[in-house]
Amino acid sequence: MKPPPFRYHDPRTVEEALGLLAEHGDEARLLAGGQSLVPLLNLRRVRPRVLIDLNRVEGLDGVDAGAGVVRTGALARAVGVERAPAVASALPVLPEALLHVAYPQVRTRTTIGGNVAHADPAAELPAVLAAVGGDVRLRSAGGQRTLGWSAFFSGRHRTACRPDEMVVAVDFPVAEGFAYTFSELTPKLGSFAIVGACVGLSRSGDEVTGARIALCGVADTPVRLQAAEQRLTGGAVDAAALEDVRALVAGAIDPPGDLHAPGGYRSHVAGVLVVRGLRRLWGAPA
Amino acid sequence: MTGPQTRVVRFAVNGRPVQVTTEVRTLVSDLLRHDLELTGTHVGCEHGACGACTVLVDGAPMRSCLMLAPQVDGRDVRTVEGLAVGGDLDALQEAFRSEHGLQCGFCTPGILMTLTGEREAGRTVEDALAALPGHLCRCTGYVNVRAAVRRAWSQLEGS
Amino acid sequence: MSDAMSRPGTLVGQRVLRVNDGKLLTGAGTFVDDLHLPGTLHAVVLRSPIAHGRLVAFDAAEALTMPGVVDVLAPEEARDATRPLRCVWLMPGQGQVDYPVVPRVVRHVGQALGVLLATSVAAAEDGAERVRMEFEELPCVVDVEAALGDAAPQLDPGCPGNVAVDLPRGDPPDAVEAAIARADHVVAMRFAIQRLAGSPLEARGVVASWSPATGELTMWSSTQVPHHARDHLAGALGLALDRVRVVAPDVGGGFGPKDHLYADEVLVCLAAMRARVPVKWIEDRREAFTATVHGREQIHEARLAFDDDGRFVALHSDVLADLGAHPSNVGAGPAFVATGMLEGPYRFDSSGGRVRGVLTNKTPAGAYRGFGMQQAAWVRERLVDEAARTLGADPAELRRRNMIRADELPYTTHTHQNYDSGDYAAALERATELVGEGLPAAPDDGRRRGVGLCSYVEFTGLGPSAVQEIVGFALGGYETAVVRVEPDGRATVLTGVSPHGQGLETSLAQLAADALGLPITDVRVVHGDTATAPYSAAGTIASRSMTVGGGAVVRAAGRLRVKILDLAGHLLEAAPGDLEIIQGVVQVRGSPTAAVPLRTVAEKAWLAWGLPPGMAPGLEEKDLHDPQDISYSYATHAAAVAVDLATGRIEIERYVVVHDCGVIVNPMIVDGQTHGGVAQGIGNALLETLVYDDVGQPRIATFHDYVLPGTGEVPDMVVEHTQTPSPFIPGGMKGMGEGGTIAPAAAIGNALANAVPEIAHLVTETPMTPARVWGWLDAAGVATDW
Ligand SMILES: Cc1cc2nc3c(=O)[nH]c(=O)nc-3n(C[C@@H](O)[C@H](O)[C@H](O)COP(=O)(O)OP(=O)(O)OC[C@H]3O[C@@H](n4cnc5c(N)ncnc54)[C@H](O)[C@@H]3O)c2cc1C
Ligand code: FES
Ligand code: FES
Repeated sequence: MKPPPFRYHDPRTVEEALGLLAEHGDEARLLAGGQSLVPLLNLRRVRPRVLIDLNRVEGLDGVDAGAGVVRTGALARAVGVERAPAVASALPVLPEALLHVAYPQVRTRTTIGGNVAHADPAAELPAVLAAVGGDVRLRSAGGQRTLGWSAFFSGRHRTACRPDEMVVAVDFPVAEGFAYTFSELTPKLGSFAIVGACVGLSRSGDEVTGARIALCGVADTPVRLQAAEQRLTGGAVDAAALEDVRALVAGAIDPPGDLHAPGGYRSHVAGVLVVRGLRRLWGAPA
Repeated sequence: MTGPQTRVVRFAVNGRPVQVTTEVRTLVSDLLRHDLELTGTHVGCEHGACGACTVLVDGAPMRSCLMLAPQVDGRDVRTVEGLAVGGDLDALQEAFRSEHGLQCGFCTPGILMTLTGEREAGRTVEDALAALPGHLCRCTGYVNVRAAVRRAWSQLEGS
Repeated sequence: MSDAMSRPGTLVGQRVLRVNDGKLLTGAGTFVDDLHLPGTLHAVVLRSPIAHGRLVAFDAAEALTMPGVVDVLAPEEARDATRPLRCVWLMPGQGQVDYPVVPRVVRHVGQALGVLLATSVAAAEDGAERVRMEFEELPCVVDVEAALGDAAPQLDPGCPGNVAVDLPRGDPPDAVEAAIARADHVVAMRFAIQRLAGSPLEARGVVASWSPATGELTMWSSTQVPHHARDHLAGALGLALDRVRVVAPDVGGGFGPKDHLYADEVLVCLAAMRARVPVKWIEDRREAFTATVHGREQIHEARLAFDDDGRFVALHSDVLADLGAHPSNVGAGPAFVATGMLEGPYRFDSSGGRVRGVLTNKTPAGAYRGFGMQQAAWVRERLVDEAARTLGADPAELRRRNMIRADELPYTTHTHQNYDSGDYAAALERATELVGEGLPAAPDDGRRRGVGLCSYVEFTGLGPSAVQEIVGFALGGYETAVVRVEPDGRATVLTGVSPHGQGLETSLAQLAADALGLPITDVRVVHGDTATAPYSAAGTIASRSMTVGGGAVVRAAGRLRVKILDLAGHLLEAAPGDLEIIQGVVQVRGSPTAAVPLRTVAEKAWLAWGLPPGMAPGLEEKDLHDPQDISYSYATHAAAVAVDLATGRIEIERYVVVHDCGVIVNPMIVDGQTHGGVAQGIGNALLETLVYDDVGQPRIATFHDYVLPGTGEVPDMVVEHTQTPSPFIPGGMKGMGEGGTIAPAAAIGNALANAVPEIAHLVTETPMTPARVWGWLDAAGVATDW
């Protein structure tokens, strides 16, 4: 299990990296944390002609939590984000979800940009990005653009990032008054989720003023559950609401099965995780 | 056809500067094990799942099977061979011996490197235990690995 | 001799730290991939990408033009140069008794066909991608029951209907049926046990080196059985045994699959002989999932018959063992043992079974820790709990009532197991007690909680050779030890067993050190090299190293002690019976001034000056120990679980083992083996499974697909022992390397059924993943919405 041959570049600046991308297009792959790409290389499931290693590119590893948004540079490592006090106070669900990503020894390399660019259907972070309504910032030699999460994730391991583009930053907006929780069911501690749920609520007294629910592991891309969110908004999180939400979750998804669980099970567990998340956030027995 | 691309890689291993010319696709695990004959770092899966290949790069535990040789150029790499100074087992190694935290010993170097990273970063025993899921051990059932962690950390706190 | 041996030791029974940990902790161990012989070429084994088909074309021309590629050993060439590998355990009437190193018709994905050599592994993999193989594909069969069907493709001409073995076990079928018919109740259930991968963390690997000058082939191999591998390697290549040397360096776990020589290992050696430089092949993880034998997969149609008063009347299981592509070295052995050990610790009027070993287009199934006894425990102990449910009886009470009592031992079962010694009910009692202790008051978290038991008896210490002969297992059941006090007064123990994590370097040294009155640091255990180790037919398998191998050490060291005392008595002018050896000094008991260092005794012995008349020179004894009989360890495991009714997730809240493996030489090591065994049992119970699609392609390539337990899945556990010495083994030890693995699935399954009785009848399959358990909960209408 050794990588196939490739040409290797390790540019120092974003411009250089973008220049290489422009030159090599879809023959090239960007290498960030390598925690997904290098296993794929070792298994020879991908065989890029050119590898552009971003790890020596300056200025892409910032983590900034201010002005209503947590902005992480594409090269920010998962451990750095999960241990940054400013992130923990601005958007605690981000470190909470990151703790579910693999293991500490893998998170020392895992990058936020690489994680969203890899677009694994079971990945936690894309679900968080979906729940908070986040954006992905892209650059190419020709310019830059920002895509909302739903425009960015286009399929299983597919994104709207063009071959000449790279992710430079990921924005997680911090909505006033929202509290979130993330939970998942995995085959074992630390492995990819069978299903994961990121649930957020804002409330005024006994009334839900806003709900955000996103899932991973149930479709090719992260899924936002708008119907369930609408059902919750304006009322209390009571038994009737939860029962409706559960049905709405099941109605909104049709997960495929895999080695670890059939689709029907995933669909059911999605409902369980959402309901439990809501109950945890609401606090009162429902 | 041109041959595989190579690079000169200069870095420090256990404090010693080394220079190796190797293919760019060489995994750091192979660079250490075969180019440098530091065979204490083991390879159990080559896809990041088992942790046997874990080394410290600039103090942080990482999978050496998921890094390419040029990526450690200029870095400080530490392996299990660097732990016992002057031939004496360090406190962590002693704890593993005392608690029977190893059987075949194949997974052990990776675990020791993760834990060394955790200790040097001043992390708690809970942090250290929380890092263990990143290692597969097929022999011990982890019971005595955890005991070794607790012993090592309690000694650290005691001293 | 008896006097010398009866002296109480100081080390046996002690928690002696392991003598070889230092090198393993500092990275100084030498595993096979750590060898760097000058000029080594790297091999990739060319393998079948399909499950069933005839190889019709093979073309390596392009591969040979790739940078770094040196040679390709083609299938035809390899076939011409090798003889088939024989199956070692042959059942009566077995339809296929050997398998070619390279087949004409491949029968499973991953079957070895050739070897490519290059200057690096990466270059070899580049080259292998350019080797073209064409197959005429044949229909394949993946499911064991489908393989029995009329429409199934036939895999081997010697195995009509794909049945390689069909054997009755235990009492005659009529007798068992009559007994079942007599009973008041019968529980009948169908159990399916999944296919597992032993998955030692170090996969297989060999370095082969051929010396044309001496005609000697050396193979360093990650093996449990150096001599056994050597014998088969010489046979496959047509070499004389004295020209083949096999060395097991440090080995990163075995667990059964490394118990024989593989076809791909023969190919690598052949390639090295042709290349005339050393060749290294290290199995990668993806490869290991198809190239290394699997374990476990069986289906049992089983019945337990019992009376109203709870008395067990009869037990029967009809077993389908999925052997994979061809019988492995042990073939249907695990199913033979599964039926042989089905009765466990209970009395029955009648008991028996049927074993069918069936071929399918999957990797052959071979030895894996537990070797049929895991299946036996799962089937029997689940039936016992369902019998208890039928009667409304307490499962512990029902077990107790039917257990063979201590005063009934020795006891012969219906499958001719001669249970030796112990107190099965005492282990049950204690485990039941311990599992309740310290269980936290169950929080009201919506989960259901339950406790489950599994009692079993374990066949350990493969031997005696006569039994091996009766069952057709062509491996001598003995072990040899050579114990030598060197001229400097230190001792060397040469053993044929070949440890790979079990700590025998320490525990065998403890046995010798005790007999010789030496500190542990003065005893060195040497093993693993056919050039130096005494011949061992079976090696380190089947929980036999401490019983059969340790028994040999006890006897050799005991005899050596007698000689030392005789010679020292002669030197000290004292009666040997008045002497003792303490920390390397032989002295008159009670008067330490009349003493002679062992070193001096050794010098004299090896000089052979001034020996008493008739005494042979030297201080070395050899013992060939063919045990008098099998030793039977036993245990009860108890698990307490919490079950999430909404997700099907099982959490183990407490795990207890009460175990008896005879005399414990090193309790630290025994506990460690138990923990590791239980962890593998938990993998078996909850996580691991090898899956194929319907055209025989494995769906497992990584440790993401094949889920091994991590620290999060294995709780701390309570392990207690009783020690009933084996009456047959010098030293009184019984085997214990496999024990931990046998019981967890049954204990956890019973706990699940206890927690959720509504699904008890469905708890018949492993692994009990959340999805599977939820399926049961859902089917029974007890799954909750959240
Ligand atoms: C044992 C193990 C367990 C894991 N478990 C989980 C888990 O539970 N959850 C989870 O989410 N992940 C998990 N992962 C994967 C996670 O750790 C990956 O690292 C992550 O998904 C990819 O991030 P990376 O920085 O490593 O990217 P890389 O592996 O370097 O790249 C991944 C892909 O993204 C592309 N890419 C990288 N950076 C950019 C960029 N800036 N712009 C555009 N494209 C880019 C690459 O070309 C490549 O195609 C696991 C990994 C391992 C080894
Ligand atoms: S070898 Fe690197 S994680 Fe397994
Ligand atoms: S000690 Fe063997 S794998 Fe951990």
